[in-house]
Amino acid sequence: MPPETNPGSNFAEYDYSNFYYGAGDDPMNLLGPFSEWYREALPNGYYLYSEPLQGAPETRVHVRNRKTGRIHDLINLASYNYLGISYRPEVKEAAIKAVEKYGLGASGSPILSGTFDIHEEFNAELARFKGKEAVVVFPTGYSANVGFISGLMRAGDSIILDQYSHASVVDGAILAKSNTVFFRHNNPLDLERKLGKAKGKKLVVVEGVYSMDGDICTLPELLEVAKRHGARILIDEAHSTFLFGQNGRGVAEHFGLDDEVDFHLGTFSKSLGGQGGFVAGSRKLVDYINAFGRSRFFSCNLSPVLVAGLLAGLRIVQKEPELRQKLWSNVAFLRRRFAEEGVDIGKSNSQVMPVMVNNDARVFAVAEKIQDRGLFLQPVTYPAVPKHKSRLRISVSAAHTEADLETAVRVIASVLREEGVCQ
Amino acid sequence: MSAFFEFPTENAREILPDHLEPVEVHHGTSIFAMTAFDFNESSVGEYGEVVMAVIVSPLVKPGERLPKSAMYPYLVATTTKAARDHAIERWHLPHFMEDIKLDFDRSTPNVGVARVSDMAGAPIAELKVAAHSFAPVNHLYQSFMADDSGKYLASIVMEGEQSEHEDEKGSIVLHDHAFNKALSIEDVYATPFRELWMRNGRQTFDPLKTL
Repeated sequence: MPPETNPGSNFAEYDYSNFYYGAGDDPMNLLGPFSEWYREALPNGYYLYSEPLQGAPETRVHVRNRKTGRIHDLINLASYNYLGISYRPEVKEAAIKAVEKYGLGASGSPILSGTFDIHEEFNAELARFKGKEAVVVFPTGYSANVGFISGLMRAGDSIILDQYSHASVVDGAILAKSNTVFFRHNNPLDLERKLGKAKGKKLVVVEGVYSMDGDICTLPELLEVAKRHGARILIDEAHSTFLFGQNGRGVAEHFGLDDEVDFHLGTFSKSLGGQGGFVAGSRKLVDYINAFGRSRFFSCNLSPVLVAGLLAGLRIVQKEPELRQKLWSNVAFLRRRFAEEGVDIGKSNSQVMPVMVNNDARVFAVAEKIQDRGLFLQPVTYPAVPKHKSRLRISVSAAHTEADLETAVRVIASVLREEGVCQ
Repeated sequence: MSAFFEFPTENAREILPDHLEPVEVHHGTSIFAMTAFDFNESSVGEYGEVVMAVIVSPLVKPGERLPKSAMYPYLVATTTKAARDHAIERWHLPHFMEDIKLDFDRSTPNVGVARVSDMAGAPIAELKVAAHSFAPVNHLYQSFMADDSGKYLASIVMEGEQSEHEDEKGSIVLHDHAFNKALSIEDVYATPFRELWMRNGRQTFDPLKTL
């Protein structure tokens, strides 16, 4: 039986954006109104967030339903892990050996006592993979954007962001205290307009793959505009590093523009299924960001245990290009089957595939039914995406079998039809 | 019908009194809202009204009904003097002190266009809003006012069938006219990120509160 919902509830009228401000001078005043709303929202669909997995994020997972407390055996369509690397035996073995050698954590900032031989080995191999002189590694992808952007840009400079930029890009720009303007998503004409008014040092930030729509950036056109205005360009390849391009370096390589892009940022949490972020570039760039990237400077370094696993994962990526081929084969299969079933996947042309529900009132009911029928994936709704653009976000993995994906298509299509979302 | 447009926070702060904070859709980008009303019944008869506003942070209190959003109407214009006098006296709303012409064009299915001009025929603004799906709603809004006599808050309930979406199908044209002098026109993004359209609606005000 699907979970019950309260038909009299009006929780759907509101969302997180309604609780950003509160009355009075006491910060505690913010808590009450949110708490009242959240108590109602939680059993009506918000329990689908942060449901605890009981094991590795493989293609099948055991998940505890936060509403019923029951453990469900589900096909995993939610975890990044695009190449299925995080639970590979070589990766686990490397991490086990590292914990025996190093213990649990780095126990220090990377500039003081937190850098180990394994960090240096990993950084050198990652730089070779990216075809750059050096890399600077951050504790998370979020901190990589925050630390890099605020480490390079200053008050009086201009940062021009795609309107769908990740929160970490926006927060980096805020911390930099630069003038920040947004251009319409993937729109070179609007970038041209915004750059025309920009002052000081100019930085344009784009993403290789946009995380909510799964579309890739229109890099050649945007790069041409940026260069013509003397702006530098940063590409955040969080969702595209290790996947796109002949060598898996990312979307910049995919377009043959690896050398034209000024700054390359990536993460280890997506395709490697680990944690951390990095910027690759010249030795001079890395030396500067090592000195001014405060989110790295003032954080504990990545655990050597994690780095050992990442190094093993990086070697798998380089040794087994067929993993990427399998991923793109799975993506093509899923696209074809969704098209045959009349399921809308928006503008996706990557392994991030939104199943468009386009109905903010129904998206939680759809998600509950889908989980009840054996799939693990979460609803995404306003304000993370525009109103009436609610969706379920699928992360395709090379580890999925066609049987997994066929089951997913049938479940999703049947639920969407029952809910009147597709014909 | 109403639409929300991105415009610079710098411009929003120039318009707002010090005690109000603009809501930012992105860092550095605030929200300008234009609303056109077609009132067919009121205490001052039938009239049209245009409201130019900045979206601001609402006053949210524990145990009280949550507002859908809050605004600071920095300029209101009406098609009749009676409507204008009423709103100034009762609600302290800042007004364009001449009548305006407000024409609604509903000739295209699912699209509404409001054309505003002054009585001499000079164009002021053209607002286009597209419909999505209509559903019954009852929403509370907060309207903040400030003039030489003080700072005020009006709670407004809008009830009716409403369409609300972010399909970016609408548009705005703001003409070089004294009416639009508060706005840096070229910095207002011409495509709205949100469009609202209410039909068979009713607008009611709670008593004005002094802040």
